[in-house]
Amino acid sequence: MDASVSVPSSGKSLVRRIQRHRAIYVLLVIPITYFIIFKYIPIWNGQIAFKNFMPRQGVLGSAWIGFANFVEFFDSFYFWELLRNTVMYSVGKLLISIPLSIMLAIMLYECRITVLRKTVQTLAYLPHFLSWVIMYGILLGLLAPGDGLLNDIAKAFGGRGIDYLTNVQAFPWVVLLSDAWKEMGWGAIIFIAALMAIDPTLFEAAIVEGATAWQRVRYITLPSILPVIIMVVLLRLGTILSGGFNQLYMLYSPSVYSVGDIIDTWVFRGLQEGKFALATAVGLFKGLMGLLLLTFSNRMTRKVSGSSLY
Amino acid sequence: MAKAHIKSPVVGISATDKVFYLLVNTVLVFLFIVIAIPLWSTITLSFRPNHFIGTNFEGMFLAPWNWSNAAYKALLGNNGFIMAFFNSIKIMVYGVASALFLTVPLAYALSIRTLPGRVCIIVIILIPHMFDVGMIPSFLMVKDLGLIDKLAAVYLPTAVSTYNCLIMKGFFEGIPDELKESARIDGASEFTLLVRIILPLSKPIVMSVGLFYAVSFWNDFFHPMLYLNSNNLMPLPILLRNILMASGMNEFVEVSAFGEAPIQAIKAASVFLAAIPMVIAYPFIQRYFAKGTLLGSVKG
Repeated sequence: MDASVSVPSSGKSLVRRIQRHRAIYVLLVIPITYFIIFKYIPIWNGQIAFKNFMPRQGVLGSAWIGFANFVEFFDSFYFWELLRNTVMYSVGKLLISIPLSIMLAIMLYECRITVLRKTVQTLAYLPHFLSWVIMYGILLGLLAPGDGLLNDIAKAFGGRGIDYLTNVQAFPWVVLLSDAWKEMGWGAIIFIAALMAIDPTLFEAAIVEGATAWQRVRYITLPSILPVIIMVVLLRLGTILSGGFNQLYMLYSPSVYSVGDIIDTWVFRGLQEGKFALATAVGLFKGLMGLLLLTFSNRMTRKVSGSSLY
Repeated sequence: MAKAHIKSPVVGISATDKVFYLLVNTVLVFLFIVIAIPLWSTITLSFRPNHFIGTNFEGMFLAPWNWSNAAYKALLGNNGFIMAFFNSIKIMVYGVASALFLTVPLAYALSIRTLPGRVCIIVIILIPHMFDVGMIPSFLMVKDLGLIDKLAAVYLPTAVSTYNCLIMKGFFEGIPDELKESARIDGASEFTLLVRIILPLSKPIVMSVGLFYAVSFWNDFFHPMLYLNSNNLMPLPILLRNILMASGMNEFVEVSAFGEAPIQAIKAASVFLAAIPMVIAYPFIQRYFAKGTLLGSVKG
């Protein structure tokens, strides 16, 4: 490595610039190789969606069958059910947890009791770091049919015990509310950051003019963080076909497949049952739709906030 | 989180504002209870003895005559549980090491705006991030590489998170150019610059990104479930899932010492033990994201 004394200038030739960054390219060899092997071979393997894939014949050796796998998926009875469940959970979580996060952020921002603010803040962020396996353990203690805490309370008030995790009516609510419980605090962080960026002189002026706390929230706080709210909603729309695999895989069981099965859980069972090509077609469909949604939401974000994530 | 509160220039708070602050505080206390109860009830459940009498609600008060550490004794004295714990630690350590080894150079290269081909590298990284082909093509890749039933299958496919990479890139971009220039004028090569100047300055971001990676490797149950078959490679989330799914004591193959404590206590105790590393790491993680370093630097 030579010690080239240089000052960056636009007039320098491309060759010189490449030469100056030699060491960087050497550093990049391993990460780029990693990307080719671990990220691009799977994309290449995605072609089996259009093939009659036989594990023994390999990805290249299997015969092309065009869109037959996709047609089988779109014609199947579970297509609409999977799509409905996936979108229901994505939109439901968005509608429940984003307003809760905004409320929490504003309340934390307005709270004048430091101890209360810090305690709630610390506790509210914590569940985000617990995995869904752990969450399932916690939920079992609450929701177990015979002796869960919630059923104890229901029985104390003369109600009947319900097995929330296998009841078709209750299950979607368990999914939506447990997600809100886990992610509400974490989701509030971005709004808190936005709140702290508000110019405090706005509030001072409002107070001098005699605005009440309600009016300050309504006419200063909310409008100020509106671009961030829109950005968060748009980014979440980009992942609308995900729905939360880890959560649903842990919580669901055959008795609630009709309301608990989402695209990703179906693909995973397809893998377990050896339906490689069909499940890949479903995954590819989801990936393509996700790409479209993400591109769209990214473009909208740029329009709204002037900058995009990518 | 440090925050300067707006001092009212007018002395005293009006009546409507009093109602507002009372409501804010009440709702926050209510939220505290809602978040705390499930956690607290899990912890108390794990100390439940075999001879427990009463409801779950009464159990939450941990009366001394209703207290036993038998569940913890059973789990910590069990080879299968200890082995799973160490497997999880192994996955986490190898995972974080390879993740940082790949993420740091990548993020650093992307932060150099004058690097020829920078846009090309960004495209290479963003395509797989935005176009997710699903789990089966990845599964076939791991299978073809011969990694099935090896720990590497669990931590290598997820070793680089594009999101973490962009966070780190944002931080590197924030380091003043003057620092880099003066080092270059002093004759430092790009590699020396990274090792001697950039990395020492970037300790907070490397630490926090490392912690985020650690959390995701510790919590991962999907990849071990997909790729590991041997019992002696089983990490904690998989064992925990098996324990939680079992409805009777006879179903415990891995953990034989049951019977000394009620099954719910064993389940709750294994939940608590699996969560402990996260609870220990949590204050450190919180220190970083509370500063806003992470969020502020994403958009670089």
